[in-house]
This record gives sequence, structure tokens and C-alpha cells, in this order.
Amino acid sequence: MKKILLVEDEKSLSLLYQEELSKEGYEVIIAYDADSAMEKVRSEEFDLIITDIRMPGKDGIELIASIMGLRKDIPIIINTAYQSYKDDFMTWAADAYITKSSSLDELKQTIKKLLKEN
Amino acid sequence: MPELRKEMLTGRWVIISTERSKRPDDFRTPEPVEIKREAAGFCPFCSGNESKTPPEIFSIREDHSLPDQPGWKIRVVPNKFPALQPGPTPPKKLRGIYQWMEGVGVHEVIIETPDHNLEMADLPAEHLAQIIQVYRLRTLSIEEQFHHKYVQIFKNKGKEAGASLSHPHSQIIATPIVPKRIKEEIYGAERLYRNHFRECAFCRMIKEEMASKERLVYLNERFIVLAPFASRFPFEMAIFPLEHSAFFPDITDHDSLYLADALKQALSRLKYQLSNPAYNLIFHQSPNPQLAEKAWPGIGAYFHWHVELLPILTKVAGFELGTGFYINPVPPEVAAEFLKKELPA
Repeated sequence: MKKILLVEDEKSLSLLYQEELSKEGYEVIIAYDADSAMEKVRSEEFDLIITDIRMPGKDGIELIASIMGLRKDIPIIINTAYQSYKDDFMTWAADAYITKSSSLDELKQTIKKLLKEN
Repeated sequence: MPELRKEMLTGRWVIISTERSKRPDDFRTPEPVEIKREAAGFCPFCSGNESKTPPEIFSIREDHSLPDQPGWKIRVVPNKFPALQPGPTPPKKLRGIYQWMEGVGVHEVIIETPDHNLEMADLPAEHLAQIIQVYRLRTLSIEEQFHHKYVQIFKNKGKEAGASLSHPHSQIIATPIVPKRIKEEIYGAERLYRNHFRECAFCRMIKEEMASKERLVYLNERFIVLAPFASRFPFEMAIFPLEHSAFFPDITDHDSLYLADALKQALSRLKYQLSNPAYNLIFHQSPNPQLAEKAWPGIGAYFHWHVELLPILTKVAGFELGTGFYINPVPPEVAAEFLKKELPA
């Protein structure tokens, strides 16, 4: 079973994502901020990371930069409500940039593509 | 008494506010801090991180080195998350009374050096000339598509100028319309050519500026650096080819070296005389030649490509946004006098 780290500060949203992605056959571990996400990346193996950008404390882009300092081989998806971060070239460290919507279809397809499950 | 000055091409007015005038030394900025996210030690533009960018479109690289691998000197890649998407010519559409079209165009990033810690001002003139030639080649390639009507080459340096990474880079965005700002310059240049000067207004201005020397910052055999008469911003500079030329891609290898020299001089003066402020570097060129001669007959005679260098030392606020008037607290003559001082060895 592929293991995904979901970094999302909104609890209800993260639980919804966990439920939806679990139905797709993934094990989903939640971190509610960047620091706890980094702890998990240091101590566990993940096949993919999904991260929000706007979070209390370090933002998602800082988190990605920190992950890159540790390892560059885990695919990362930025999942944010904002288009405007596309102007920030640090987002290039991620493999995909998804704007949050009520449908999770794009997110699910992108996960499959990055995990080469198609 | 403040002075109102008119920019002759666009008709834009600026207030040269001598009463609010500051001494040039007041604009020395504190040393810029590295954009904090890079402190973690990762940069997608650095050599070794090529897999984090889309596949390169063009590069200048060592013999036998492979695309998308280290060994490059200058690298051009499409923007991973572009402002405009590639695609066929989009038709203009209506939504009620409003016009709109799909966001089709080109968005490329030129990574100017593999060295994260250098700045454009630090690069040898020969390297800058190669960057200029890359701008030229990319413009020519993009303009092969008729619907890429205008190619904007620009550079944001420093957070205040809109840069998100300090690794030296510039960008190209090609749009399916000719921007209003460029149209204003073209119409202004045409009007002055036909009704007043009977010669290119830019060429006329260059002659006057060379004679007066009041706003002259730097001059070489092929290019002039000026503090424009109606500068919007303190220490604003503009670089013009001395020989009339409407189309930037006509620049030769030889002239690229002279433009590189002028650009390095202008950037070094910002860096060393003003303690390295953020800036925007903006090329103004004719629209795609496939369109330009049809839309503006004779444009080759009256338009003159040039480069604007806009240091970010003041804030654009309500008055500027509301009126289009800019308030510049440093008269361009004072700025030129300060900028033309010898650079430290």
C-alpha cells in the first residue's frame, strides 16, 4: 500500500482527504503543520507528499525547501486554494500544483500519475 | 517649487518633487537579505537540480554535456506553472459587454548562470552578451508564431521587485495582444515622427541628451545610458542603441557586447553607488514583425527599441495608481550626476 503524507492545517478538510484517498487504496498520514511534517519525513518513509501552502508557522513552500534539503526523491503535490503562489519559483520544487476544489478528481489523477499507477 | 515634466512619447506626466528631494545618499539601502526560503539550502535553478525544472528549450553548455544535466552556462526552460499556456490562436469572445480570450502565450525562464550567489551585475560582459543573444534567439523563435504578438523580456531582481528567488534569472512572456503600454509608445513615436521631428523621436532625444550631457550616465561606442527627463522613479535609467533600430532581434553579436558593457555599467552603478536595491529590467521592443508593419506602417523608421532599468526605492501608492502621475523625489539630473561617478576599482 502506497503511503502519503498529507500536510493540511484544517482538520475537517484533512479528515475528508484522508477518507477519500483511503478509499483509493492509500495509507494517509496527516500532519497539521510544517514542523510535525518534517518530523514525520525524518522518521518515516513516504511515497508522496501533499501539502497546503498557507499554514500557521512555516508555510508549505518553506516546508518543501526543507524537504529538498533532506531528500529530493519524494514526489510533492502543492494543494492550495490560491493560484498566486505559482509566481513563486520555489514551488518548482514540487511536482504538481493543484488549486483546491470541491472535486478531488484532479488530485486523485495527479497522485496516480506521480506514483505511475496509470 | 516642484516641477511637472511630460514624457514625450506616452504623454505621461511626472512630478519632480524638489521640495521632497532627498540626497542621493539617503537612498542607500541596507544590504539585501537572502529570500528566507532559500535559507533551507534548496534552489530549483541551481546546477544539479535540473530535474525540478521542465525540460530545457535552449542552453549554452559545455561540449559533450547532456541536456537537463549539469554543465550549462545559460539555460532556458518553460515556466513550470506558466502565467499563459501554449496553444493555438485564441479568438476574442464576449461575455455580456466584456471582451475576453483564453490565456494563450509563452512563458519562459532564462537561468542566467549556474552560480546561485552571483548577480547579473557581477557577470563578465562576455557572459552578459551571451544572455542578450539568448534573449534575441528566443524572441526570434517565439515570433515565428504570428499570434505571439508581443515578446516581453524582463528581469525582477530582489523581493521588492517581485523576485521569488535570488538565483539570477530573467523571464520572457509572449502575449496574444500588443500591450497598451507598448501601443502608447508606438503611437507617441509615430505622432512625433510625422508631426514634429520628421525623424525618430528617440534618435532626436539621444542627440539632445548627448549634447547637453545633463542626464548622461554612461556612453560607449554603440549605446547610451540616460536618466530619462521625465523619470518616474529615483535613479531610473534607460539604455538606447545609438544607431536607429526598431527591432531588438536585429542586434548583432558585436553590438551585444556593447549592450552588455552598458548594462553592466548601469547595474554596477545601482549595486555599488546605491547599495544594491531591488530593480526591474524591462526591454521595450517592436511587436512581432509579422504584425508590426501591417498594423503600424513605417514603424521601422520611428520606433527605437530600448531597455528600462527601474530601481525600487519608493512605493507606488494611491496617488500614482489613481492618476498615473508619479512623484519622483530625485531630479534625473541629480541622479545622473550621482550615478556617473567612477565605480570603485
